[in-house]
Amino acid sequence: MKPAANAKPPRRGVRQRMSDLHTWAGLLVGWILYAMFLTGTVSYFKDEISQWMRPELAYQRVMPDPATAAQRVAATLGAVAADSPQWLITLPTTRSNVASAFWRVPHPQPGKLPYGLATFDPSTGEKLAVRDTLGGEFFLRFHYQFYYLPAVWGRWLAGACAMFMVVAIVSGVITHKKIFVDFFTFRWGKGQRSWLDAHNALSVFGLPFHLMITYTGLVTLMTLYMPWGAHAALTTPARQHAFDLQLSSFMPPGARADVPAALAPVDAMVRVGEARWGRGNVASVLVTNPGDAQARVVVTRGAVARVSTSPQYLLFDGVSGRLLDVRERVGAAAQTRGVLYALHMGRFGDLTLRWLYFVVSLAGTAMVGTGLVMWTVKRRQKLPDPERPHFGFRVVERLNIASIAGLSIAMTGFLWGNRLLPAAVAGRARIEVDVFFAVWVGVLLYALVRPARRAWIELLGLAAALLALLPVLNALTTGRPFWRSVAAGDWVYAGFDLMMWALAALHAALALRAARHRPRERIADGRRARALRVEDA
Amino acid sequence: MRVVALLLCVGALGCLAMAMARHQQTVFGRAFSIVASRRLRGAGWSGLLIALWLSVADQGWALGLVAYSGITSVAAGIVYGALVVCERRLARR
Repeated sequence: MKPAANAKPPRRGVRQRMSDLHTWAGLLVGWILYAMFLTGTVSYFKDEISQWMRPELAYQRVMPDPATAAQRVAATLGAVAADSPQWLITLPTTRSNVASAFWRVPHPQPGKLPYGLATFDPSTGEKLAVRDTLGGEFFLRFHYQFYYLPAVWGRWLAGACAMFMVVAIVSGVITHKKIFVDFFTFRWGKGQRSWLDAHNALSVFGLPFHLMITYTGLVTLMTLYMPWGAHAALTTPARQHAFDLQLSSFMPPGARADVPAALAPVDAMVRVGEARWGRGNVASVLVTNPGDAQARVVVTRGAVARVSTSPQYLLFDGVSGRLLDVRERVGAAAQTRGVLYALHMGRFGDLTLRWLYFVVSLAGTAMVGTGLVMWTVKRRQKLPDPERPHFGFRVVERLNIASIAGLSIAMTGFLWGNRLLPAAVAGRARIEVDVFFAVWVGVLLYALVRPARRAWIELLGLAAALLALLPVLNALTTGRPFWRSVAAGDWVYAGFDLMMWALAALHAALALRAARHRPRERIADGRRARALRVEDA
Repeated sequence: MRVVALLLCVGALGCLAMAMARHQQTVFGRAFSIVASRRLRGAGWSGLLIALWLSVADQGWALGLVAYSGITSVAAGIVYGALVVCERRLARR
């Protein structure tokens, strides 16, 4: 693949082979991995992003009482989804200021979805009347199943990319022969050498995280990727049901009695859970067959300070309100999965732990980014004519620009769309996402027509400008400008603005560096010219 | 406690960096004796172990290990950044 390789002896060391594997495994899906890494990174602040994207909801100073919120939402669902066999209510937390619900639609009309989804105001229990948005949920969904694609395809694609990532990490560690000797080494202003040093530092410092996050990412969707063991072993519905309860407290509705009976108050049930697990630590309330004599209510424990997502729940009789069952243990294999799952999501963490996740994950994003750029840096010097690179080189270069600078612009564009789209427009949440992709495609087209270096500078500059002006746009379009947020002690909004400025500074610094960069071709040309002169003499 | 663990890790990784001849040259302009380097290395590894103990004692194994992993990564980044800045300063002189 490389001209230099032919000059060497035919037998190549394992390190060289691993280096090739690392290069190509990393490059082939590097652009998708970069997008998965960055959207995953911001998803550690999913709830805060959602709060920012619903500016109509006031800053949540104290968490609304989850039990009361559950009762109010259940009352609303009793009106809008009375005949549904199943409701799942997700309760507000200290970080999330909304309740949400999912319910099955018993006899969906053709062409309509067989389920309903809605967001609720925890203080009234009414459906939210604010701007329709996916909020931070969009980045999370994009992270593991993309968009426009059928969900299952997207998840398979994400899994395939994660496998490439595992290969890239393992082969990268083998390739990096001076992992300890060069641990703290950075050689400034040395072109390819500097890129490699930075790439190594970003990879090695976060190595435990990068390995963990890639492997656990595969674990989160393991029942999709490897269903055959379960298929072979779980031959009866009863076994399947027992298996499902090891993974999730989401149970299907049982047989109906077809005798109407009022649902017992769910707030009392939530309080039983809170007494057991701590206030604010009930994640969700699942109601099956509401309004029937066979109604059941499952109250599920939240994620606070528990490094496992294994289901822990209380099962109540939905009519008498009697506690029927307590499940707080799963088998060893299920618990292993639960721990790995929780490590990936990081939902158990308090604010500082979340920041640690965010920072190290951002380093992972930069690791992928520097790896992608390095592919071009390494090859540019060897090009016969650096002004007119071959087709493959140009493809990689343009895709790098569109995926690295472009994603920052598209993500910021999504947030701009949230503020600029009229609140009442139909299908608003979907249009916000369309804005994201339209901006991204626009950036790709721009990157295709501009000279590469100019495109880097201009697009990084544009990203910096959009990020820096976002707090200004927010101040103009909402009643929550930066100074007021600070004065009110609203650290979600103030922190968001500060973060945008910090990211703007980062992009501006990158744009400046790209602008100041003296292309190395000229130096190399000079050297080559000198060498030629020596030969002539 | 996490701040203490972070500071300890920064110190420990700083010691480990200073136990390397390349960085001794960068920061002090000369290489240390082998004994001094060895002591720095010992201090560095001890510091990392003490920080691990602190983190686990404070929050238990599950949360402690997760926090420790993040703290060591960030501490390594801080030491790395400091070395880069240091080197740039000296190069400019």
